[in-house]
Amino acid sequence: MSYQTALAIFLPLGLAIAAIGSAFGLGRAVSAAMEAMGRQPEAAGKIQLGMIIGCALIEALTIYALVTLFVLQGKIS
Amino acid sequence: MSLNLQLTNEIAHQAAEKAKEGTPELPNFITLLYDKFGKVAVIGFLHHWENVVFAWMIAILICFVAYLAYRKKTLIPGGLQNFVEMVVEALDNFICGILGPRGRKFTPFLGTLFIYILCMNLFGLIPVMKSPTSNLNTTVSLAICVFFYVQYTGIRSLGIVGYLSHMAGDPRDLVTWCLVPINIPIHIVEELARPLSLSLRLFGNITGEDVLITVFVGLGVSALSFLHLPVGLPFQLPFIFLALLTGTIQALVFTLLSTIYFSLMLPHDEH
Repeated sequence: MSYQTALAIFLPLGLAIAAIGSAFGLGRAVSAAMEAMGRQPEAAGKIQLGMIIGCALIEALTIYALVTLFVLQGKIS
Repeated sequence: MSLNLQLTNEIAHQAAEKAKEGTPELPNFITLLYDKFGKVAVIGFLHHWENVVFAWMIAILICFVAYLAYRKKTLIPGGLQNFVEMVVEALDNFICGILGPRGRKFTPFLGTLFIYILCMNLFGLIPVMKSPTSNLNTTVSLAICVFFYVQYTGIRSLGIVGYLSHMAGDPRDLVTWCLVPINIPIHIVEELARPLSLSLRLFGNITGEDVLITVFVGLGVSALSFLHLPVGLPFQLPFIFLALLTGTIQALVFTLLSTIYFSLMLPHDEH
């Protein structure tokens, strides 16, 4: 297996696995935020802000995998 | 119409050219000029320093808007001055909500960071323009500015001894003194990982959005390729809205994280 084949198989696979992880994390974060908003609707603004920021931080880890893909994708031939 | 034709040709040309290297990218006015008049020295210079040119353009645009808003300062503002003051007040409340009343002196830096990054992110959605933040150099330079300002603020407000003790985890009793050799490397790595994560997050998000839009533009153009006309279906429209949303969120997250880094560095046992 040449390195190009290995890259072509494992780069998207790595990104997909990172996406699975962040999907789980985001689902938990958003569901907790929804529940908190339901309990106390007057704090909904602050909860939403915190949720957006938490989601951006969780998403960042998948973005690192995407950046690795950008860096290495030129090497696939 | 001829601009559309040129854009379509440019997309096909660049797609073929860049199929081997780099991420797919929509043409901007500098690459269009370079394609036509590549031999002219000025155009070559502009093309080489493409991201810097766009970053300067946006900075000058923001300064111009600020100048327009403050030409006549009235006590009861209307129009542009009102809008600008709304933005400044919202940013001030946001930052002082995290840093407390001493955050007032960081509002200029952090507020400008937010406005600048927001404008840079959204600039790429304008048809012949490009986001400078879709290049790693721009985001790393922003993150390095934040890093050095945070360290400088730490040294300034804690003093050298206080800063070093903060790095070592504030040793007070025997247990924390024994943990100092573990704390110092952890803190140094953490401080260095912050600009890394800030820059990579912003770069990855904005480049991802741009590549997504580019791919869908290409898809839309090739969907109508049987017509042999320079038109395409606007498949990229929902992704333009997504890019608006994520551009704003990423600017907010960058500013918020910078504010939190300031609040972690400053003495936080006052209130």
